[in-house]
Amino acid sequence: MSPPAASVVARQGGVAPAELERPDIDESLTTDRPWLVIVWNDPINLMSFVTYVFQKLFGYSKEKATKLMLDVHTKGRAVVSSGTRERAELDVYRLHEHGLWATMEQEG
Amino acid sequence: MSAPIRKGKNGRYRVRIDETARTVLQDLARQLTPAISAHDPMTKRLFPPAYPDPMLADVEREYRGLVETALVTHHQRALETLVATAHAESLSEEEVHDWLSAVESMRLVLGTRLDVTEDMTPPGPDDPNAAEYALYEYLGGLQYLLVDTLAEDLPDEGRPDSPFDPL
Repeated sequence: MSPPAASVVARQGGVAPAELERPDIDESLTTDRPWLVIVWNDPINLMSFVTYVFQKLFGYSKEKATKLMLDVHTKGRAVVSSGTRERAELDVYRLHEHGLWATMEQEG
Repeated sequence: MSAPIRKGKNGRYRVRIDETARTVLQDLARQLTPAISAHDPMTKRLFPPAYPDPMLADVEREYRGLVETALVTHHQRALETLVATAHAESLSEEEVHDWLSAVESMRLVLGTRLDVTEDMTPPGPDDPNAAEYALYEYLGGLQYLLVDTLAEDLPDEGRPDSPFDPL
């Protein structure tokens, strides 16, 4: 099993030192708008590997994982998951564990 | 002929690749492990930014500080498994996942160094990068086999607990 993202662990912990260290980074980060997890096209990762990672990490069907992979490949990027900031950070972390070029941004 | 990497009835994965390739994999994994802990610039591709927005540089720094150790450990552990099991005849499922992860790290590092593009022409035999490119291609073939084998255990219809649907 992959270890959970340290930031998520830190925030879910009782004392949450991470929370104390992030008092008012940016007001926009605290709004309710969901965070989007984006995977970007890169020339190295195999198409079958990217599809496999989407199936494995998110439990998507092969059909949906393949469609997302093709979106990444042809459009340059695709939103692969969405949710709270903590959830998005965890997903980005897991995608980085698997070598994918993933970033997150708040829905505009 | 059976596939080079195949799951047996006992749940273990039999690996049929030649000894030279195993030694090359082991050497490469040995070289990459310290490069990762030393934050060698050639391993930069293994650590993409989560928050690329320049306005969120502080957030990115904080995120990086919190996950860096875990991500370094993840990549290193996979490479260490490959070093330890490079000559094994069969692998546990966990070890196969580590092989996949280690091969992925190697491809990312080599692919970045070779500056590969999607429609590039492979370097000719006299090109100084020819050997490294051949290794990169070999790793791609090995990764394809690993994915092919591991994907057999994933349900085509997905998991019922699949989270938010972005489509």
